Amino acid sequence: MQNFIFLIDRFDGTNSWRQRYEFPHKPGMTVLACLIHIKENIDPTLNFTASCRSAICGACAVRVNGNAVLACDTMVDDLREQWGEDTLTISPLGNAKVISDLVVKWDEKIHRLRKANTGLHARDEFSAHEGCRQSPEDMQAVSKQWDCILCGSCASECNKLSDDSTDFLEPFIYTHAARYAKDSRSKNPMEHVMDMERSGLWKCLHCMECVTKCPKGISPADDVALLRDLAYRAGCTEGPGPRHAKAFRTDLENTGRLNEVRLVPRTEGMTSAATKRLPFTLRMFSRGKLTPLEAARLFVADNKRVQDHDGLCRILEANRK
Amino acid sequence: MQKKYAFFPGCVLHAAANEAETSAVAVAERLGVTLEEIPGWTCCGASHVQDIDPETALLANARNLALAERMGLTIVTPCSTCALMLRKTRATLLDGKKDWANERLAKAGLKFEGTVEIRHLLWELADSCDEWADKVSHPQTGLRVAPFYGCHTVRPPKIMDYENHLNPQSLERIIKACGASSVTIPERLKCCGFHAVFPAETTAHRMTASAVSSAAKAEADCLLTPCPLCHMQLDMYQPDALSYSCGDKPVPVLHLTQLLAMALGLEAKAIGLSRHIIDTKPLLAAAGRSAIQG
Repeated sequence: MQNFIFLIDRFDGTNSWRQRYEFPHKPGMTVLACLIHIKENIDPTLNFTASCRSAICGACAVRVNGNAVLACDTMVDDLREQWGEDTLTISPLGNAKVISDLVVKWDEKIHRLRKANTGLHARDEFSAHEGCRQSPEDMQAVSKQWDCILCGSCASECNKLSDDSTDFLEPFIYTHAARYAKDSRSKNPMEHVMDMERSGLWKCLHCMECVTKCPKGISPADDVALLRDLAYRAGCTEGPGPRHAKAFRTDLENTGRLNEVRLVPRTEGMTSAATKRLPFTLRMFSRGKLTPLEAARLFVADNKRVQDHDGLCRILEANRK
Repeated sequence: MQKKYAFFPGCVLHAAANEAETSAVAVAERLGVTLEEIPGWTCCGASHVQDIDPETALLANARNLALAERMGLTIVTPCSTCALMLRKTRATLLDGKKDWANERLAKAGLKFEGTVEIRHLLWELADSCDEWADKVSHPQTGLRVAPFYGCHTVRPPKIMDYENHLNPQSLERIIKACGASSVTIPERLKCCGFHAVFPAETTAHRMTASAVSSAAKAEADCLLTPCPLCHMQLDMYQPDALSYSCGDKPVPVLHLTQLLAMALGLEAKAIGLSRHIIDTKPLLAAAGRSAIQG
């Protein structure tokens, strides 16, 4: 087997550069074992963080070829097979401020995590003496979210954060909010939801990078959906996000299929549809994507109902009873 | 590739992205494959209904799966989000929600057994490259195509487990079989922004602008996507998106089946190339030049 070749993104507080390290292949080495080998045998100036070496502490997340992994839980031979090359590029986590080499700053992320009002505030019937008992089923409902080790992998390639982090939070923050909001022992679940609703909850792009990158198999995207559902049920039904989702549900229930013509007015209101979105509509007409006649028909009369729409209604009705 | 599929077109193929349906059906016909539309299929929820009413979304898709099971065929869909929603529903039902769903499906005389498979049309075409490559009568030699996979085509890999999600090659294989060449852009596996075009409009347009700019800089003749929702974002919203970039030139966007249709010698009109917002004439000119040079 060829030597390992690591190209590591270095940063000394002022200068950035990419440094090449080559060392003999040894089967069964993790990315972390390689980093430790480099620090102990080749270059003691290389900086990275690590602690437990057991995928529990979350300290060693880095990017390999642009994708976050836990260094202690990732075999280099697997990576070489996955990428089909002997050279791997190691960088600090994405969407994070770099302090030194592979070490990123967590202060701001922890500050943002506080928006989820983390911590279980137990219902009144519980006490320090009696404890906070819950059924195994209730525990299971949030057990996945409890596995979060705050490694930051879910945020590293989040497409929304990469574009603009001022109106969106790291995906793990939504997961932490969801774990308290769905915990049967919580006194006031909504205290974990409402600040999320005001902190970009509806701006997730559904890029699924967070789900893909979490080394513990957590799905922050599902937690975003869960929080949206809770917020919606609590009356937060205004704004383009909830209105857009409601438009889809309305069409699903009414005919079974999406009515594209009614979608914009339902999401943004008639004024926006007739003004802001007018150039869009006109170019749809000009290229024959939609004819004015068809648009008028859809707006007034809606889609035809799908075959056995009654059956669909009976299924949904049975669920509401 | 199988000879017959239960076809799940998804809502936009019956509307603004109708050219994706026309070209899928035309390609299937040319390859001797029947796409039999699932009678009474409904919207998959498009990853939106789930956000306010997860049970409704789950039941609507359970019904879709049950309808396809009744046909005894594998589902094929040309939409990545539909594929994800259907596959995710199947996984959820098989993970303990089957009886719950079947109690409700019984009200419409339906039952989900768990036997149905759901495949993306991309996967079926990529797997069968060797079967249809000899039918390529008009190789698109020299046409520079920038593949744009779309998030839900490959993520999350636990559900969309067809190929290596970090370095997929299915689109590249099809591009090669069509005689064209692939141009890699950094946004190849990024998000187009479509699902948040209303609540996060600026971000969505910047995502689109970034992909288009990279394709233009790489001198690609077109972007290629296997997802009609990515197509809508990259094509229909491209004029809006380009206002976020600095004077980049527009880049036409092809549906996967349109490229294949061109390579199979189908007429541009028959596959709806005139319906695109971004003019496809420069692309056809490039394809024509390539054919002459080839």
